[in-house]
Amino acid sequence: MNDLLLFTIPLAPLLFGVVNALCGIRLPTVVVQTFAVCGVAISAAMVLLLWPLATGEGTQVILYTWAESGTLQVPVTILFDRLAAPMALMVSGVSTLIHLYAIGYMKAERDQARFFALLNLFVFAMLCIVLADNLLLLFLGWEGVGFCSYALIGYWYGEEKNAAAGRKAFLVTRVGDVFLGLALLWLFAATGTLSLSAINAQAAALPAATVTAIGLLLLLGACGKSAQLPLMTWLPDAMAGPTPVSALIHAATMVTAGVYLLCRFFPLIALSPTALAAIAGVGAATALYAATCAAAQQEIKRVLAYSTMSQVGFMFLAVGAGAMSAAMFHLFTHAFFKAALFMGAGCVIHLADGENSIFNLGGMKQRSPYLFWIFCAAALCLAGAPLTGGFFSKDAIFAALAGHGGWFHLGLLGIASYTALLTAFYTFRLLYLVFAGSGASETKGHHLPVLMLWPLLPLTVLGLLGGLLNLPPIFGGGSWLANWLGATASHLPAAQEWGLALLSLLLVLSGWLLARWRYRNYRAGAMEGRLPEFLRLGWHADSLVEKLVLRPYRYLARFSSDGIDRSAIDGALDLFAKAILAWGEYLRLVVSGRVSHYLGGVAWGLLLVLGWLLLTTVG
Amino acid sequence: MIVPVLHVVAVAAILFFMGLACILARRSLIMILIGAEIMLNAAGLVLVAASAYWQRIDGQLFVLFLMAMTSAEVSISLALVVYLRRRQGTVVADDFRKMSG
Repeated sequence: MNDLLLFTIPLAPLLFGVVNALCGIRLPTVVVQTFAVCGVAISAAMVLLLWPLATGEGTQVILYTWAESGTLQVPVTILFDRLAAPMALMVSGVSTLIHLYAIGYMKAERDQARFFALLNLFVFAMLCIVLADNLLLLFLGWEGVGFCSYALIGYWYGEEKNAAAGRKAFLVTRVGDVFLGLALLWLFAATGTLSLSAINAQAAALPAATVTAIGLLLLLGACGKSAQLPLMTWLPDAMAGPTPVSALIHAATMVTAGVYLLCRFFPLIALSPTALAAIAGVGAATALYAATCAAAQQEIKRVLAYSTMSQVGFMFLAVGAGAMSAAMFHLFTHAFFKAALFMGAGCVIHLADGENSIFNLGGMKQRSPYLFWIFCAAALCLAGAPLTGGFFSKDAIFAALAGHGGWFHLGLLGIASYTALLTAFYTFRLLYLVFAGSGASETKGHHLPVLMLWPLLPLTVLGLLGGLLNLPPIFGGGSWLANWLGATASHLPAAQEWGLALLSLLLVLSGWLLARWRYRNYRAGAMEGRLPEFLRLGWHADSLVEKLVLRPYRYLARFSSDGIDRSAIDGALDLFAKAILAWGEYLRLVVSGRVSHYLGGVAWGLLLVLGWLLLTTVG
Repeated sequence: MIVPVLHVVAVAAILFFMGLACILARRSLIMILIGAEIMLNAAGLVLVAASAYWQRIDGQLFVLFLMAMTSAEVSISLALVVYLRRRQGTVVADDFRKMSG
């Protein structure tokens, strides 16, 4: 089998994306849509076809040398290994389903060529991140997904709000990207190579302090893309984009890029206990923070956005606990059920004719029973109900934390358990408010196209059965994913594992009962009061950023502009120019235009010259 | 040499300053031109005197060229004066002040 075929995986979406970008506007919409779906479907098919290349040590293949200067070698290299292959399959597979959904969703929109071209370019950039062995290629993908995310959030840029959300996402993630760039430069300075596999191979030889610093920089870089504390404010606003974009970029793939990055560098990061603890701490804090916010949101998509943030926090927690396979496991199951939830939410909004406040929705069960069952199944996965994919992946994280021991990790386990309870609570709250009762908005709304309904089914099934990927031994499974990734599975006593499973069950049950008691016949509308308001606004994170970062920066900018540029520099220049001008005014009087004055001047000049000559000759 | 060179130079200096005074004092263009001519002739006189003093021919040659050049210059400047007089109706130098800055 030709190894170079691996390059068709990222290049197929690029090709169709470029075709759509260049001439999509002249092509019929059907052709544009077909091209877009073809691009990602070819990728998915190629990943499956080339799967054998990932076994063993994986396959590394060079397309050409991108840049070369002294010791700096930048070959375009793909590393298709045990970590990249499942991730690439997930990205391209979920993208294919979401592209199909998008065809239905975007039916009435005008700029479909732009939309689908950007979507394909996004998949290309994401696959670059997933497959790249060369860090510069990885960074290209990293920036590429950022750009596509920006352009797609602001897809309806006619409204200022959407464009502002896109800008915010771009700028906040850019803060993280700066740290990632620093980490990459430091890695090159320390190891002299940009190849990821080579860096991981010689990571053990680096000094411990360097590893810790690089690990923390990588964490900050990952935080930006994955919307973790403190760079998380952009994600809820990113919901201004079309729903397929939210499902693809802001739930299934791009926000998990940070987790993937940390997993990709896991051999390096695992060497530094400090970096691991920082990762776990950030993950736990974000998971808790986002879960509390999700419990008070009013818009259906914002609930899901905060829950995404919270779940990605769980993945960070897993990486920090040293359980890379648990993180990837949760990443996969989360991608499936969260994409299904987002697309379900898109269907709900579509049915309700654009209404997206959960307090005004309701009775969706009667409107579309199929949608209810799909959404319900995906929500059960999110809540972590037993035997769903989400249950097993969350359990794997708990087991990793418990296996670590020590007060720090047990404290994190406590936070994670409380977050799991909140997760179950807000998930069932959403479910009750949207689907139960008789809806207020039954009269209007659209009929759902078939393409918006059936892509949900495979995703939900994958979410429900995702546990089979990595079934722990006590449930009779073989931990396939952990073995595939070559991770050392945590060896907990069976009793402890059963205890954790029971704990999860109890958490889900109590979350469900709490939500059922509170929201089953809830008619009071949005909650008032300080605490719900505080949570709804995300702990006032936006105004905190405004106060701590934006306002001082604005003052600095105003000082630089008014205080330094306009007053000092412009003032000095103006003064100089005015002096010259005034001097010129005086000099102007000399040019009287009278011949007699000029002649007088000549005579005086002559007198001076003669006097000078006289003085010098006499002297 | 019959006349001492110092006398000639003194006469030339007197001529020169008379010409200069004429230029500075008078406002008529024609009188200013005449002043300039007188100053040129004073310079010529010094050249001739110097030529005789050092027994070199160059100074006299130079004066011959000076005369030729002066005649050309005078014809042009007089033509200009006539032209100005026709155009502006005056030959008073101070009336031409369009070049005032």
